Amino acid sequence: MRITQRAVTLTSLQGLNRNLESLGKLQQQLTSGKAISRPSDSPTGTNTAMQTRTEQASVAQQARNVTDAKGWLEQGSSTLLEMMDVVKRVRDLTLQGINATNSPASQQALAVEVESLRDGLLSMANTKVMGRPLFGGVTAGDAAYDAVGNYVGDNRAEVLRRVSDSELLRVDLTGPEAFGTGAGDLFAVVGRIAGDLTTDGAALEGDLAALDALFEKMTGAVADIGARGARLEQAEQINADRQLTLRAQLGKAEDIDLPKTIMDVQMRQMGYEAALAATAKSISPTLLDYLR
Amino acid sequence: MSGSFAALNSATTALWAQRRALDVAGQNIANVNTDGYSRQRADMQAIGGSAVPAFYSTGDGVGGGVSVAQVTRIRDVFLEGRGHTEHANYARLSTEAGALEQVETAFREPGEYGIQSLLADVWDGWEAVTNGPDTDATRAQVLQQMEALVGGLHFASASLDAQWNQTRENLTVLVDDVNAAAASVADLNQAIQRGNQTSLPVNALVDQRDLLVMQLADQVGATVRQGKDGMVDVIVGGVTLVGGTSATKLAVDGSLDMAGAGASAVRVVTAVGGHTVRPDGTAAGQLTAMNGIFPSYQSDLDALAADFAAAVNDVHTTGAYDKNGDPGVAVFESAGGGPITASSIRLAFDDPALLAASGLAGGANTDSSKADEIAQLRNKAGGPDATYRKLVVQLGVEASVANRGVQIQQVITTQVDASRESIAGVNLDEEMTNMLSYQHAYSAAGRLVSTIDEMLDVLINRTGRVGL
Repeated sequence: MRITQRAVTLTSLQGLNRNLESLGKLQQQLTSGKAISRPSDSPTGTNTAMQTRTEQASVAQQARNVTDAKGWLEQGSSTLLEMMDVVKRVRDLTLQGINATNSPASQQALAVEVESLRDGLLSMANTKVMGRPLFGGVTAGDAAYDAVGNYVGDNRAEVLRRVSDSELLRVDLTGPEAFGTGAGDLFAVVGRIAGDLTTDGAALEGDLAALDALFEKMTGAVADIGARGARLEQAEQINADRQLTLRAQLGKAEDIDLPKTIMDVQMRQMGYEAALAATAKSISPTLLDYLR
Repeated sequence: MSGSFAALNSATTALWAQRRALDVAGQNIANVNTDGYSRQRADMQAIGGSAVPAFYSTGDGVGGGVSVAQVTRIRDVFLEGRGHTEHANYARLSTEAGALEQVETAFREPGEYGIQSLLADVWDGWEAVTNGPDTDATRAQVLQQMEALVGGLHFASASLDAQWNQTRENLTVLVDDVNAAAASVADLNQAIQRGNQTSLPVNALVDQRDLLVMQLADQVGATVRQGKDGMVDVIVGGVTLVGGTSATKLAVDGSLDMAGAGASAVRVVTAVGGHTVRPDGTAAGQLTAMNGIFPSYQSDLDALAADFAAAVNDVHTTGAYDKNGDPGVAVFESAGGGPITASSIRLAFDDPALLAASGLAGGANTDSSKADEIAQLRNKAGGPDATYRKLVVQLGVEASVANRGVQIQQVITTQVDASRESIAGVNLDEEMTNMLSYQHAYSAAGRLVSTIDEMLDVLINRTGRVGL
């Protein structure tokens, strides 16, 4: 077959270009660290990468939700524990009041202290988490109880945090759930004790029983929050694991295999240099070199 | 019986012929790297005696020397035809692949700056509202994030639009170029015809014309039909672009913007009569991009915007209540009032308090079940994220198939080019060898002249001197 210098140049050039192109592609992957820079590089890889990114975003948001939920639960349990301490003190004072040996003046003193403890309890019940009353449910107002101790929260819905794709964790406890309702709630009972201390010593026994029942209720509430805290911890652990897995998954889909790519670059470079050398040899000689 | 000087005469013809052949070799060597040059060969022919025997007109059977009958241009017409086809295919495929690459650029995926990450930001924003429905900061933030997503959709839509317009301009310029080239081919045809009729050398003209025809093959997929007197007819998609010495003009017709491409597809027509021409080559690639690729991705993008808006609006307007306890209104609307598209989508309000996070009626409250419901659209099967992912993957598959096609076609085209070059190109070794033989022939002819000179010298100066 007849062959000409131009034909040899054309095919050599094509080979060289192809070598250089794949070398450039590898170089680009190596410098960017990404195996996929546009969807056509690997459609399936793109799919995996995009899906993983979506999941990563939602897991990261869930991690933020978990942190937020922790704040609520911790605040809830510590507030309840503090309030239980106060309730214990009220109980002590009530017991003192039941002992009939007290003078009216000291009964009066007990009543004043209980009254002030009630104010303390009320203000604790209005504790806020991130601007929202802890025991207020979904109220838009800024208090769970008003100044006289009536519940003004909105307990039609629960405050929930999404801690995983499938799990919504409740982070609040409404006032009625923790402190009872209506005339039997904590603030009414403590108020009644303050009154009975000075006016009706005989009713104190009954008040004490009501207070004990409320104490039980609060203990139950603390336990409930504790159980939710345990669930939250679990969710947090799962979330952290999932973040790691997803990062690895994204890396596998999107990032280059460094040793392999470096090896590939070396191989390509060798191939390219060999092609250059061969081309230089095959193009340069003509008959002219041998004619004298 | 030939005369005494007949041999001298034939030696002169030999000197001339070898000189001419050397000239041709020189021309070949000079044009070894010229694009479109076809090598030439001096065809020599022995000058015979009189062809028709007649009284007093007899030859001695030896002949009268040599002449260069013609300088032949060597080129394979069939390979050229194949070259036209493959060049047209390559130009079409690479234009289509280029269009898909532009679409890929418009979507900027996968990565941290594409529509997907904007979507993720919006969902994150809604979850932040779920956590703090009472704070204006989180509400304002999700408004900003939705604004950013709307901006991203606008940007992608606008860049598809811009690419469409750019492609249409390119096609117009290309058609102008084709018209100019076709006119040149017709002019050259005429020159070649006259040259051939008057036996003037036309090889250079033919080279020039074939180069133009190859350009036409690249641009509009022209094919060639050989005509008389060395002329060619150039045919594009069944329409004769150049017929002998006259050329037809082409023009671009159809929609002037992408929105109208569905109803009135862009097409190439004859300037006179407006008949549709079905070109190949770059023009075909551009037509596919304008009538197929760009509009199809634009409508996918529009569908995505509409789906997204509908999904959010749906939750936001059914049993959802804003910060003041009023029922939620639509979040997204169309700027023009028509259906929501990627270019017309916009936020319906900019007051953060109007975002309906609560599912509880009857006055303001801090319930956020609706905000959570919107945030959970991110994981919905067939939701905006899934739709968009499908769109990008489809684009990736299409683009990678197109790229592979271009690579294969490139190899084929280069091989055909190399074959054409093997036939028509100049081989320096061959030319050197030819030069040697012409040189030797020239020297030998020179020697013949001096030999005859010596013979005649003996005959003229030395004879008849016996006894002097």
